[in-house]
Amino acid sequence: MARRRKKLEAGSWKLEAGTQQQPPPAAQAAPPPAPQGPPRNWPPVADRTLIGKSIKRLDGPDKAQGKAKYTYDIIRPGMLYGRLLGSPHAHARIKGIDLSAAEKLAGVKAVLALKDPAGEGANGKAFYQGDEIAAVAATTEEIAEDAVRLIKVEYEPLQALATAAQAMSADAPAVFPKGNVSQQSLQQEGDVEAALKSAAHIVEGTYSTQVQTHTSLETHGGICEWEGEKLTAWVSTQAVHGARDGIAGSLKIPQTNVRVITDYMGGGFGSKLGFDYQVVVCARLAKLANAPVKLMLNRKEEHLVTGNRPSAYAKVRAGVDAKGKLVAFDAETWGTGGAGAGAAFRVPYPIYVFPSRRQRHRDAYTNAGPQRAFRAPGHPQASFITEVVLDELADKLRLDPLELRMRNVLSATDPSQEDPSRQWRKYFPMGAEKIGWSKRHPTGDPASGPIKRGMGCAGNTWGGAGSRATRANCQILPDGSVLARIGTQDIGTGTRTLVAIVAAETMGLPLTGVKAEIGDTNYPFAPGSGGSVTVASVSATMRIACENARDELFAKVAPALGVEPSALAAKDGRIQVKDAPSKGMTWREACKLLGVQPISADGAFGPGLSSTGTSGVQFADVEVDIETGVTRVKRIVCVQDCGTIMDKLTAESQVYGGIIMGLGFALYENRILDRNTARMVNPNMEWYLLPGMSDIPEIDITLVDQPDRGPVGLGEPPVISTAAAVANAVANAIGVRVRKLPLSPDAILQALNEERTGGTL
Amino acid sequence: MKSFAYVNAAGEKEAVAALGPERGRFLPLAGGMDLLALMKDYIAQPDRLVNVKGLDRAIARTPDGGLRIGAAVTLTQLAESAEARRMYPAMTDAAAEVGTPQIRNVGTVGGNINQRPRCWYFRNEEFPCLKKGGSTCYAVDGENQYHAIFGDGPCHIVHPSSLAVPSVALNAKFRVVGPTGERVVDAGEYFQMPDRNLFGETVLAPNELLTHVMLPPPGAARTATYEVRFKQSHDWPLAFASVALSMSGDTVRGARVVMGAVAPIPWRSPAAEAALTGKRLTEEAAMTAADAAVQGAKPMTLNSYKVQIARTAVKRAIMKAAGLKTV
Ligand SMILES: Cc1cc2nc3c(=O)[nH]c(=O)nc-3n(C[C@H](O)[C@H](O)[C@H](O)COP(=O)(O)OP(=O)(O)OC[C@H]3O[C@@H](n4cnc5c(N)ncnc54)[C@H](O)[C@@H]3O)c2cc1C
Ligand code: SF4
Repeated sequence: MARRRKKLEAGSWKLEAGTQQQPPPAAQAAPPPAPQGPPRNWPPVADRTLIGKSIKRLDGPDKAQGKAKYTYDIIRPGMLYGRLLGSPHAHARIKGIDLSAAEKLAGVKAVLALKDPAGEGANGKAFYQGDEIAAVAATTEEIAEDAVRLIKVEYEPLQALATAAQAMSADAPAVFPKGNVSQQSLQQEGDVEAALKSAAHIVEGTYSTQVQTHTSLETHGGICEWEGEKLTAWVSTQAVHGARDGIAGSLKIPQTNVRVITDYMGGGFGSKLGFDYQVVVCARLAKLANAPVKLMLNRKEEHLVTGNRPSAYAKVRAGVDAKGKLVAFDAETWGTGGAGAGAAFRVPYPIYVFPSRRQRHRDAYTNAGPQRAFRAPGHPQASFITEVVLDELADKLRLDPLELRMRNVLSATDPSQEDPSRQWRKYFPMGAEKIGWSKRHPTGDPASGPIKRGMGCAGNTWGGAGSRATRANCQILPDGSVLARIGTQDIGTGTRTLVAIVAAETMGLPLTGVKAEIGDTNYPFAPGSGGSVTVASVSATMRIACENARDELFAKVAPALGVEPSALAAKDGRIQVKDAPSKGMTWREACKLLGVQPISADGAFGPGLSSTGTSGVQFADVEVDIETGVTRVKRIVCVQDCGTIMDKLTAESQVYGGIIMGLGFALYENRILDRNTARMVNPNMEWYLLPGMSDIPEIDITLVDQPDRGPVGLGEPPVISTAAAVANAVANAIGVRVRKLPLSPDAILQALNEERTGGTL
Repeated sequence: MKSFAYVNAAGEKEAVAALGPERGRFLPLAGGMDLLALMKDYIAQPDRLVNVKGLDRAIARTPDGGLRIGAAVTLTQLAESAEARRMYPAMTDAAAEVGTPQIRNVGTVGGNINQRPRCWYFRNEEFPCLKKGGSTCYAVDGENQYHAIFGDGPCHIVHPSSLAVPSVALNAKFRVVGPTGERVVDAGEYFQMPDRNLFGETVLAPNELLTHVMLPPPGAARTATYEVRFKQSHDWPLAFASVALSMSGDTVRGARVVMGAVAPIPWRSPAAEAALTGKRLTEEAAMTAADAAVQGAKPMTLNSYKVQIARTAVKRAIMKAAGLKTV
């Protein structure tokens, strides 16, 4: 019982509270921190040798050759394999757990019950399929799997809620202690009813998006190894420091006794931001067995228990005046984030100005794994709903939907000023030009034959500011080597390469002249890689640490050159006098002056080196076969900024990945629960459809560099608009709106059919 | 997966000898693309696997001018056989689109035809459905978007094999060996509806093996397979059709029209065949036949969209066979 409570206290999900995830639109991003210390700057654009260039990620070859060891790959001497037993029922009372047969199996070294049949609330119940009941550690994976199957659990299956509609229905069984549905929240501005009355055209409809799972290629989990009271944990995490604090808190041991390492990480997309319960179980198994234990989830568990993007439903009424100015948006919204977890999203999407707006939202709780932050939480859902409504309004007005956006998208508050974080008015025409928007036909491709072609577009925004809490360390060693250390982690985005770029640029060295060390709680604190904060946090802070170290070196070198330290520059592998570059010495000669005492300088995040707020637009060109309902996306055009581009290649990678993930959301991905048992029927990669190589269209990316702003995060924005743009393109092709995702053949044929039979449209 | 014994059979005789009459205890292992997945999911829990990759792996001409395809021939081998492609495009097109290149490189003809259903209730251990000896078909009022639109149950799977459908359209014969010798079964008789055989999908006894697919001489027949897939790769057809049309000039003398992914067995449509016979091959004729093919479809709660897709597949398969543009 006590064990189980730990899990709840640790807050992996809160049954009562109905945890909310609030989308952070640009407008609400943290204000820039107060100035402190000397003014900081990036080198003038013309002098940048690395920043903004196309730099291949440093660990690319190691990853391609399998030399990079992910958590999943790590094998420790004497290591055991852990396995979890999850509930096969989506809702059940646990009446008994008998571990004895598992304990007796040869090769089994530790067995733990994770529920307590005598326990109350979540302690004695399973609230979703896969809810952890017990765990074992054994000498091989096979024995661990066999042992788990020997555990006898007596369940009393209870009625389960599979869908938001079931949870909200009047005769739903009372499943959750504080009700199956949250209190309604209200956001409003202006008088929507009056504004709607004044509108020239009104669109009414119900829009919905599905539950999407993160489907990280590397599943969740870790390896735990104790040395006395000290724990080393290799964790597949987006937050080494967060994981350390979470593990220490759950095990009630000092944070100093826990070290978390993440050298390479196979994707998280938000689901690995919070610390993971299974790593705590792994640590307990390791303690019990007195041996290192690896516990990584299998694919099925990954789908069931490691989070998801909640579903979203919106019953919308929106109006526009005769001049094409939006006047009102009223939405009743709901969704499900699973067992006790929220399903927040905010409509209308904040880049469009609806002077009057109202959203009434309720979370419906269901017997499914709780949601977690998922790449731009809330945004793709809100974007889909809003952008499809915009296209419908444009149709009513008989106005080009691009023009409607140009008339209503946010721009600088002061028209005489340009706001670099609100660039849509510039980007929409750029994207239109690239996709060939002038060739777009009005809704409904007039071409004969079953293949219909169409185009659509959508815009996005994000914050992506750096975190003030970030710290970094830079060392210059007497032999000239440079060590850049920061406790961030590379979640596949290229952070290791970024750290090296910043250090090398600051020292005037080639990339090979510096060593970046990250992914370890022994290094200075950096925030979890979520909210697209990493690039801004890490670049700015590492720049400061490196400048501090470099300035110390200048101080050593200046007397030898007979100048003031401030007269020096580090450039082209030399320390030289700014105004007389031939006067100087090589970097190595300079470092020799350190004797035996290396420089070690810290940096704290400071202002001036990064910014916040991005804008982006995406356009889709699609083909729909109206006799089969199959959509093929031919081309996606993206125009996107992220402040100063630090590395063009890895920035583009983010955009490719985001768009492909957005495409999965648009067309394919769908967590399907059996409506009668709330068990997932597609917990695999066969029926949980993901875009494959041959489903990925041509992707045309224009990254707009803003070299004077400093970097802004880019991880999340590219995923936001894809589904909305594709949905609008599909409607433009077939002449019928599909108001729900995914745009499966089923959904498309159904929409076409309803149109033909004079249905909902 | 459960531990098992492994027997490496050199040929037909040894393989049959290593199998037994009890369903599910001893299983032939070909490419393993299906069987290993079933075992990892604890759906199949055999005590012994009998490696049958030693069965015939040749594609050979028969004396009568047909083709004989060994059970151990891989899908890639079949798809890339120039001879098979020239003679039976309906077969090679089907082979070429299965799963992914990796699956085709390893998966065999014998394994493909004898693979088990993909119904997600069948494949997930938590659902003790009819086919697994339980008392309900979860698909009936559950998630049946990919299930059958033909047949009366009690189980509503769609037969998973891409090769089964052209086999029936091409009037293939299957050579089967068992403990008492060999027999030859018409492809059209090989697959069984669930009311006759709930726990298996074919006439094969647990200790019998499929060794060869024998295709009759193609004569002047025009054949084609048309599949409707959502994803281009690593996915299953939503519905598909294979047709074989024997022609005199541009008039259809006889037709075999078979749909896939719509029923527990390859679903032949006598109505579509009748609609084509005696007609000139035009888009209208194809459309009429396609309408006839889906007459009598009985969609479940969530899969009526498949009727439209099956109709399209039949129409386009006929047009493809006729050398007309399909879209
Ligand atoms: C993502 C995905 C997509 C796929 N898409 C398709 C598709 O589009 N079309 C399609 O047809 N298939 C598809 N498949 C399935 C795949 O083609 C089959 O699994 C494969 O062809 C099976 O061949 P195998 O040799 O690997 O068979 P195995 O896995 O070795 O055997 C399959 C079954 O047949 C039995 N068996 C094997 N050989 C014989 C024999 N000679 N006689 C009697 N019984 C035998 C085995 O005991 C077992 O039960 C897909 C699979 C996946 C994972
Ligand atoms: S369709 Fe067949 S295999 Fe699927 S649940 Fe029903 S009985 Fe089981």
